[in-house]
Amino acid sequence: MNELRQLARKLLADKTVGVVIGYEEGQGAVTRPSFATSPEQAEKLVFDARCVQNLASYLSPRRSTVRSLGKPAVVVKACDAKALAGLIREAQVKREDVVVISVACGGVLADPRSGKALSEAMVADRCRDCDGAHTSLADHKVGQAKAPAFGSPKVDARLAELQAMTAPQRFAFFKSVFSECTRCNVCREVCPMCFCARCMADKSEPQWIESSPHLRGNFAWHMLRAMHLAGRCVGCNECERACPAGIPLSLITRKMQKVVSERFGYSPSDDPNVPAPTGAFRLDDAQEFIR
Amino acid sequence: MRKAFITQENLSVLSGDLERAGRKVVVPRPSATGRMEYGAAQSGSLTHLGGALPARSLKATFLPPTEALLRWKNAKDDVVLEPSEPKALPTVVLGARPCDAAALAILDKVMDWDYHDDPWFARRKATTIVSLACDGVDSSCFCTSVGLSPDTTKGSDVLLTAVDGGYLVEALSEKGEALLEENKTRFTAARGEAQAAERRKAATDKVRKNLAVDARTVKDWLGGNFEHPFFKLGSRCHACGACAAVCPTCHCFDIVDEPEGLEGGTRRRNWDTCQTSKFTLHGSGHNPRNDQHARLRQRVMHKFHIYSERFGETLCTGCGRCARACPGGMDLLEALREIDKLRRSSRPSAAPIVTPTNPPISGGAR
Repeated sequence: MNELRQLARKLLADKTVGVVIGYEEGQGAVTRPSFATSPEQAEKLVFDARCVQNLASYLSPRRSTVRSLGKPAVVVKACDAKALAGLIREAQVKREDVVVISVACGGVLADPRSGKALSEAMVADRCRDCDGAHTSLADHKVGQAKAPAFGSPKVDARLAELQAMTAPQRFAFFKSVFSECTRCNVCREVCPMCFCARCMADKSEPQWIESSPHLRGNFAWHMLRAMHLAGRCVGCNECERACPAGIPLSLITRKMQKVVSERFGYSPSDDPNVPAPTGAFRLDDAQEFIR
Repeated sequence: MRKAFITQENLSVLSGDLERAGRKVVVPRPSATGRMEYGAAQSGSLTHLGGALPARSLKATFLPPTEALLRWKNAKDDVVLEPSEPKALPTVVLGARPCDAAALAILDKVMDWDYHDDPWFARRKATTIVSLACDGVDSSCFCTSVGLSPDTTKGSDVLLTAVDGGYLVEALSEKGEALLEENKTRFTAARGEAQAAERRKAATDKVRKNLAVDARTVKDWLGGNFEHPFFKLGSRCHACGACAAVCPTCHCFDIVDEPEGLEGGTRRRNWDTCQTSKFTLHGSGHNPRNDQHARLRQRVMHKFHIYSERFGETLCTGCGRCARACPGGMDLLEALREIDKLRRSSRPSAAPIVTPTNPPISGGAR
């Protein structure tokens, strides 16, 4: 903690950056995103298993209030680093415009409000297959990296169950969970990779996607989202964490990740120079669907 | 108004009775995603009464996330409009949180302001609300700061209080009296009143500790401090609107026309939120609320200044859902605490208060 605060204080004092985006104590037992703009404010910074948010989201060009604070330094976990790499890869952030502080993370809590300690039962699912290594994007590394050891992600077991169902059974399942969707767009707004100034789902002339939360509109939205994030989603799971309806969105994002991995040999990378399938063409890409 | 007692078992029986009598029964129960939500009772079971706070409020029962307003058909040289009849089934809500019931009474004001919202009032009229006095959920509850309490009767037709062996039942309105009368075989003479009073007081004391601010007193400070630097609140806000999605009093909607084939289509109204930039984006490209600071200020202003100026009510029931749901860690209790501090330290302002006294949009008599 002291190391992190010292570093932030230095970056702010020598005006290397205008803001350090990290975590601070929130109300009650939780932590929350923090925007330190002076060396004194760097004293607020904390990092522990309660720091669930993906702070790379705040670097998206849509965040005008954050951009107005000056050049950012951002505290990233291994998962957040992949989102930052995605923003750099897709030309939303210039590498030289951000200072990357990689923090050693041994996994974060699925539900920080629970007040429970980190354990096999309480860990966020995405941490289960994380290698915990410091990102190669790091300008500064804080803490000794360690791989969390929490078994395999539970979402995979659930996906296997869905895969074992018949198509009508699967459809019935998605119909039931999508019936809870009110199209509040929270999944989109918290997503670090949803940075479009104007989302296709908001266009009304012509209207490609119905904005009403009836089943037709909800299916259209969730399919559009799956397709637009395939090969781009980094699996930070902010969408599922934030969804006011509790829709298990990781079932979709994880499935797309697996499909992309199997067909294109690509997994979310924290190296912006590794091309993602949506932005690259290879002669040996599978294309048997073109007849 | 009459008081009675009902056992837990008989309350489940009553739920079945009501369904058989053709009423839709809405209770807190796990949703398709496993969260506690208000929804149609499943096989008359009321096992979740008084359990976890429903993740979203009761408003969807009266203002559905999407609702057809009219259908149009393209005729040869004309367009034929068919207004939609609002679906307003006779309904009983069993086990509403008092804060969620209070929200309905607060929203009645705006729903009957410059326009009488027929679908809203059709459902209000068709619904009897049986609330259950709340124990106070957690540290995000602050109903006592907006003039309510965990056992507030506002907006409810009947109030239940859990006591040994069942519930003390108090009718609060004609609808509530009628419900008790029509189902009198399920009720017995009132008992447990002392215990109920004790529990309700304990819950009120518990919630009071969460926020020592009377949110109604911040109204004038807000009106005189539109440009105050306090409102630079927006950095950690994602503009996602999760707060509005779970809020019992956020009621803004968007109206869209959705073509269905070439023959016609449906005009619908859907939930919307002032937290997105699109909400105030003009056709010209100008956006009067151009950053997240301005949008969050709007949320605070509308709830604690504008609505109370216009309708004499705070547009907040202190349910705390916004604080619990915010993925960025925004917390309305903290904001109110800060505003109250500023209010106390500021001299009484002689500056004119920015008060929305403009007449109703329609210029009608309401």
